[in-house]
Amino acid sequence: MFSTGSKYFFGITSLGTVSFAIYMLLIGESAIGATALFGLVAATGLLTALVLATRDGAKDEDGVAASTSAPTGSIWPLVAAIGATLLVVGTITSPLVTLFGIVALLAALIEWTVLSWSERASSDAAYNASLRKRLLNPIEFPVLAAAGLGVVIFSFSRITLAVNKSVGATAFIILGSLVLAVGVLFSTRPNLKRSLVSGICVIGAVGIVAAGIAGAGVGVREELVLAKEEGHYMHQECGAEKSEHFDKLPLEGVSATSSVDTHIDLIDGKLVASVQGIAGDQETITIPRSNATNIVFRNMSEGEYRLVASLGSKMVTDGVKEDVVQCTQLIPQGSEQMLTLNIPKPAEAGKPFTLTVPGLVGQSIEVIVP
Amino acid sequence: MRRRVVGAVTGLAGTMFLAGCATNAPQDTWQPKGPNAKIIDDLQKPVFAVAGIIGIIVTVAVIAAVVKFRDKGQPIPHQSHGNPALEITLTIIPALILTVVGVFTFRTVFDLAKTSDTEMIINVTGQQWWWEYDYPVQNEYGITQPIITSGQLVIPAGTKVLLRQTSRDVIHSYWIPALNGKRDAVPGRVHLNRIEADKPGIYAGQCTEFCGLSHANMRMEAVALSKEDFAKWVANQLKPYASPAENTLAKEGETVFMNQCVRCHQVNGMKRADGTPVIAAPDENIVSGAAPNLSHLMSRNTFAGATFDLLNKSCREDVWGAESESFGAKYLSGVSEECLNQTDLRGWLRNAPAMKPMYANPALLTSTGGKYRGMPNLGLTESDIEKLVAYLLTLK
Repeated sequence: MFSTGSKYFFGITSLGTVSFAIYMLLIGESAIGATALFGLVAATGLLTALVLATRDGAKDEDGVAASTSAPTGSIWPLVAAIGATLLVVGTITSPLVTLFGIVALLAALIEWTVLSWSERASSDAAYNASLRKRLLNPIEFPVLAAAGLGVVIFSFSRITLAVNKSVGATAFIILGSLVLAVGVLFSTRPNLKRSLVSGICVIGAVGIVAAGIAGAGVGVREELVLAKEEGHYMHQECGAEKSEHFDKLPLEGVSATSSVDTHIDLIDGKLVASVQGIAGDQETITIPRSNATNIVFRNMSEGEYRLVASLGSKMVTDGVKEDVVQCTQLIPQGSEQMLTLNIPKPAEAGKPFTLTVPGLVGQSIEVIVP
Repeated sequence: MRRRVVGAVTGLAGTMFLAGCATNAPQDTWQPKGPNAKIIDDLQKPVFAVAGIIGIIVTVAVIAAVVKFRDKGQPIPHQSHGNPALEITLTIIPALILTVVGVFTFRTVFDLAKTSDTEMIINVTGQQWWWEYDYPVQNEYGITQPIITSGQLVIPAGTKVLLRQTSRDVIHSYWIPALNGKRDAVPGRVHLNRIEADKPGIYAGQCTEFCGLSHANMRMEAVALSKEDFAKWVANQLKPYASPAENTLAKEGETVFMNQCVRCHQVNGMKRADGTPVIAAPDENIVSGAAPNLSHLMSRNTFAGATFDLLNKSCREDVWGAESESFGAKYLSGVSEECLNQTDLRGWLRNAPAMKPMYANPALLTSTGGKYRGMPNLGLTESDIEKLVAYLLTLK
């Protein structure tokens, strides 16, 4: 009555049911574990019923003779061992090492399992090999191609980060043209020797990877290092301007473009606020307490200006208060900067919150935090 | 055997059919109560009909084929390559149906996105597991100072209200089926959602983006009032805080509130004995950085993310079952001592995590630096609870 598969699922269902009952009794029915165990019981119960109904999908067909020869040598046990080692080492060193370990273990698990199964599929070794290819090649080729491309792209990014901006762009154009030209050559000359095609590809890839390693060795060009130190997108200092490499057009960043709550424009010496979803210019903006809110300041007036957000004060030590002020960069006409405000207390706690531009008298936008 | 299968299928179909006849279904998507929901309804009904007819045709065809051509030991029929004319026809017909549906769907999407004729703005902020509503200054509605509330969104009926939605922690989704479709609330972004209610009444909703342990308990209710009643509601919300009279149980409750609850919950206008404002610090205690503002709590009908009623069963039925004309007066009367749902409110104050699943066990908060997601068990004594209930009843 019970097929092999149904016995297996029946066993899991029984074990799950007992575990579920014990969990409910000892830990409580509101715990997530009880829900998970009930889900397991329901799922395996359904599988048991399905497997019983289909009798393990058994067909009355003649069996195929299995292979009796010993399994061939394989690299996958070694990969699995390396993966397990990396997994353990990663737990005490770096998550990246753990990730490599998991990838190696998964690859070994899949490859080794399919290899072992295919070698015993029939007594015909050639058929077994074709079976393995049919199953694994659709996975192997895209994965290897993606990994190879990833290495090339990463290497090339190291080159462009190391060299001058214009040199990087030129190198990209030249390399792209070369790839296109070689691709055209290969497609128009299908009779080219396989070894020649492979040789060109390998030399090209090795060249890029070697240059990438060299680029990584040199490091990121100084301009980018300075920009990072200065806070590339966010400038929170309100003192004398020191930055040179800040991003003057932060809205070119996708994340910023999609999440601006308010634009504060300085037009002809006047400060104007426009809030997303609200028609017309606003004299006040209302933002929820303890909520990150992006504000973009656009300077459309002649001269260099910055937006200053005065957000009350906070207690730094017992009895000592400090003003909370956030500023954009000092930006020239036509530039824009973003501020992210996160105000934990309502203005009721002290003086009103305002957005002002130093040097402009009588121009202020009130920030209301209910 | 066959009779049993037919009986089971008929029983299941009958149950599903009867379930569709339920009258007490406040989140029924087939009962629009506002223009935006009607726009959606006008699209979904014909599309549902078309999809239903096609579904029945396909199901009948599949069952007929399975029954007629089932394996009876007959030889495998002749395998032909296909019938180009039939295949082209069967491709063109669905394509045409989808094109027609697509045209009307696009029109609906653009109609729903229209915000240019908005008449009122409300900021809506989601967090685990409740919604906060703040009303920016809008003098034309008498809102001369920002109003902040939670659980129940109060709007004037017949007014185009724009909700500016965002979230303080994870992604939530705002959905009151009777008034409009769902719209996500995403941290760092402001999403616009327009609603309008035809008539005064309460319209129930539910967070529709899985947002953690108590997602199922993250509810919302939109309360539509006539314009006159809405003006009264606004006036009440703007009333200054009134501290309870000295030597009363409520006054003692205010002290308990200041010692315990104010760590997270703000009551606008509350002052200490020395005259300094009492400012809550949810940013220091809660992951989202916010807790419901309890100013005028008893003007609402729900608490704890609209999970529990502040009104007892009979008073709740009186409000929910009221006709449009009398609804406003009943809602505006708020929660009296006689109508208060003492059981749930006291239970909540006694041990909140036992009533609504929350990450509030202090021993398990290392990953959040000791900050809670939800309200913890404050270990209040029965005496404290008695005082707090008396105090909360004064917040009308």
